[in-house]
Amino acid sequence: MKRTHLVLIILIATAIGVIIATLGDASSYETFQIASDNPKKEFHVVGKLVQKEQMEYNPEVDANKFSFFMQDNNGKTSKVIYKGTKPDHFEHSEQVVIIGKMKDESFHASKILTKCPSKYVDKEGINPVKDSTKY
Amino acid sequence: MDLTFIGEHLLPGQIGHALIILSFIASILAFISFTKSSFLEKKGLIESDSWKKLGRISFYTHIVAVFGIGISLFYIIYNQYFEYHYAWQHSSKILPTHYIISCFWEGQEGSFWLWTVWHAVLGFVLIRTAKTWESPVLSIVSLAQVALSSMILGVYFFGYKLGSNPFMLLREVMQAPIFSRPNYLEFITDGNGLNPLLQNPWMVIHPPVLFLGFASTLIPFAFLCAVLFKQEYKSWMEKVLPWTLFSLMILGLGVMMGGAWAYESLSFGGYWAWDPVENASLVPWLLLLGGLHTLLVYKKTGQSSKSTFLMLMSGFILVLYATFLTRSGILGDSSVHAFTDLGMSGQLLVYLFIFVAIAGWLLYSRWDEIPMSKSEAHLTSREFWMFFGALVLLISCFHITFVTSIPVWNKLFGTKLAPPADAEAHYNRFQLPIAVLILLLTGFAQIAKFKLSAFKDVFVKSRIALILSLTFALIIGYYNEFQNWQYSLLLFSAFFGLIINAQILQERSKKLPSLGSTLSHIGFAIMLVGILISSVQKEVISINRTGLAHDEAFKEKDNEENVLLWKNEPIEMKGFRVTFLGDSAVEPNIFYKVQYEKINPDTKKVDYSFVLTPNAQLNPKMGLIANPDTKHFLQYDLFTHVTKVPDKKAISEAPEWRDAQEAQFDLTKPDTVMLSEILLINEGVTRDLPADLQSKTTGSQLAVALSMRVKRLIGDTILKPVYVIKDNTVFTYDAIDNDAGLRIWINKIDPKTGKVSVSIAERTPKPRDYIIMKAIRFPYINLVWLGMITMVIGLGLAMIYRKKEFKRLQHD
Repeated sequence: MKRTHLVLIILIATAIGVIIATLGDASSYETFQIASDNPKKEFHVVGKLVQKEQMEYNPEVDANKFSFFMQDNNGKTSKVIYKGTKPDHFEHSEQVVIIGKMKDESFHASKILTKCPSKYVDKEGINPVKDSTKY
Repeated sequence: MDLTFIGEHLLPGQIGHALIILSFIASILAFISFTKSSFLEKKGLIESDSWKKLGRISFYTHIVAVFGIGISLFYIIYNQYFEYHYAWQHSSKILPTHYIISCFWEGQEGSFWLWTVWHAVLGFVLIRTAKTWESPVLSIVSLAQVALSSMILGVYFFGYKLGSNPFMLLREVMQAPIFSRPNYLEFITDGNGLNPLLQNPWMVIHPPVLFLGFASTLIPFAFLCAVLFKQEYKSWMEKVLPWTLFSLMILGLGVMMGGAWAYESLSFGGYWAWDPVENASLVPWLLLLGGLHTLLVYKKTGQSSKSTFLMLMSGFILVLYATFLTRSGILGDSSVHAFTDLGMSGQLLVYLFIFVAIAGWLLYSRWDEIPMSKSEAHLTSREFWMFFGALVLLISCFHITFVTSIPVWNKLFGTKLAPPADAEAHYNRFQLPIAVLILLLTGFAQIAKFKLSAFKDVFVKSRIALILSLTFALIIGYYNEFQNWQYSLLLFSAFFGLIINAQILQERSKKLPSLGSTLSHIGFAIMLVGILISSVQKEVISINRTGLAHDEAFKEKDNEENVLLWKNEPIEMKGFRVTFLGDSAVEPNIFYKVQYEKINPDTKKVDYSFVLTPNAQLNPKMGLIANPDTKHFLQYDLFTHVTKVPDKKAISEAPEWRDAQEAQFDLTKPDTVMLSEILLINEGVTRDLPADLQSKTTGSQLAVALSMRVKRLIGDTILKPVYVIKDNTVFTYDAIDNDAGLRIWINKIDPKTGKVSVSIAERTPKPRDYIIMKAIRFPYINLVWLGMITMVIGLGLAMIYRKKEFKRLQHD
């Protein structure tokens, strides 16, 4: 019995250790304000593309620079710079999640996730339910 | 008012839905009968036999119904009956026939059906082979079938919709004015189409294998439930051990095929991304792996029986949990794989709790009965290290599940946690020490003896392997400039695991029993060497460094992984001269030809060259979907995909000609006009008309041409716009030089002043074609595949051997 207890204790201790270490590594969904207050940490920021501001992508000049303006859920707008190509159909995205950190007044994103509405409307105006899968 | 719709094929759908209901009811009957039979059997009552028979009949009916559902659905998709939502949503007319099968698992309903099929097949095998365990085992299998069949039921119970029926009609699923027209089908000419990512040969084979793997985890679970229920703790191992090995082999193969698919056809650049769906299939595998090892300990020494029950049973529970995660929509943004919610999350959760409750209750009530050897494992014994290894695997599972479940924690506790910003790096960092421990254990545990072994023996046996692997790790680590000592440690332990298992293989070569186990351990070690080198030394080579001189700029450029290639304008990449040669379309794909020429650094000549054709679909719904193309060499792979292409439509819609400019010439004096790149010289009027216009000028009052010399760097040409007066009407014929992009016509000739007015139009310069692409070099990636295949073969051999072993025991 003794050793069983010992094993259990070690297991629980490791599990707690894993949880703490993981939580230390986990990011969180925050706003631009929090991101600019903690410029060293990486955050997930959720928001909407600001349509009236200029989106910049000139592949002929730099294929790896795409910038746009996003408004977070608190209503704050910031410029976002992404090192990569412009995602397709970006203009039509309903919601944008950017992952990265604040640097010199603009948000430097390492990843962009977009949520597009299912806009497959065919000629007859059939608007299907959301596409059920993205495998 | 009831409308009669024209052209619908309602029969196959009605048959299909009837079969779904039949399969559901038959599985309930089978569950009740087998459960009843189990209880009666336990009391030793003879009536159990008739209940068992009823259970069998119900289960066979269920099997027939399940296959019937598949045939109906196939018939609908094959015949392109787009009045059915499933066919419309997941297929289209241009879809090649062999991908019809992939349509099945694009939707949730089809993949649930696939799972049901495998359970049905496995249940059939179990009815034939489970013998005394049949009733309780089949009772659990039938319960699983009740759960799965209900997922595609699509019937309302007290206002709650149970499952989602794949035989729904388009007009039932969607609301649109068009469906009030009896002839609406005439307007639905084609389906929505299969996701281009699924149009891949791997996607035909990977889901069936993976789902067989998932389905097979039910068998150890069902047997162990039966053991606890019957309280018969003997002779179950002969069933559970081979089935556990079977499950490990198939699930492993399925995961591997998924990796191969991701590598061959997705553009994230790799075979593993720690995506929630991938994790969901890995965790049950790791649990079964741990359970297998504790089971072997139990078989040999009578210890760790309880941990065997826990680990093997949680394998299936984790499959259910994974299903809940990926299909309830809870993962939301965090996975590209996840299905969106079909409103079945509640249902999924209920089933998860039912199975947890059954397993939990059985374990709780029988916990103290489970036979357990009183002796404790010695610290130097093989069983201790095997048990320790199983615990390490458990911790690995715990970590992966904990991080993957972050969206669940947010739901439960109202937190706003997000997955680590660089998820891959996070998982790699945490799982690396686990891999190191496991690899060392595959060596040390195997050379240690059961019960007790001397430290000295273990050391003597392992010293050659220790020295060799240390040397290899140092040499390779140094040669590849490993920056990180953890990588060197992993490399060392992987080599250690490899060498010591090779040594064991050689020592025990005459003994068949250990062939399966050593082969799988060797495979595991080879795979990890491959994973380590191919990911640490993975190098993005598509970085444009032209015009950059200093180091700082080089470093900055390292993050910029996409390069723009103008058509026919080569760029230097890591010893290759890379040129984009152009594209060609084979509907619905566009293939981009990218030529790689290996340049010899000394002679500057081309050593060898090859063309890669990564393709892309410009999907109206999803945008550019890139399919990579990979050149496989023995030592490395060169992986290439396009990340962006110019909008061809914008190019073709650009106006062909710019606005014309007008020029005045003297009929007699030569004159010159400067255009953007061309010099145009008027050489005067001539009656020598172009041949094709001569016939049109017969009977004319005037027919003249203006001779215009087009001076370009590559040489001169003459253009002759023609001016004709016939029956007092003016006709002008323009002259076009396509090469120069020039079009000239005469507006007016004024004989009085001797002036001629000419319009000159230049062609809009065509936007130059380009692609933006990414190229990655994966060194030694073949070791990953080699290792995986070896491991799967090893597991298969072990399964065959164990089956034979138990047969032999029975005969003795």
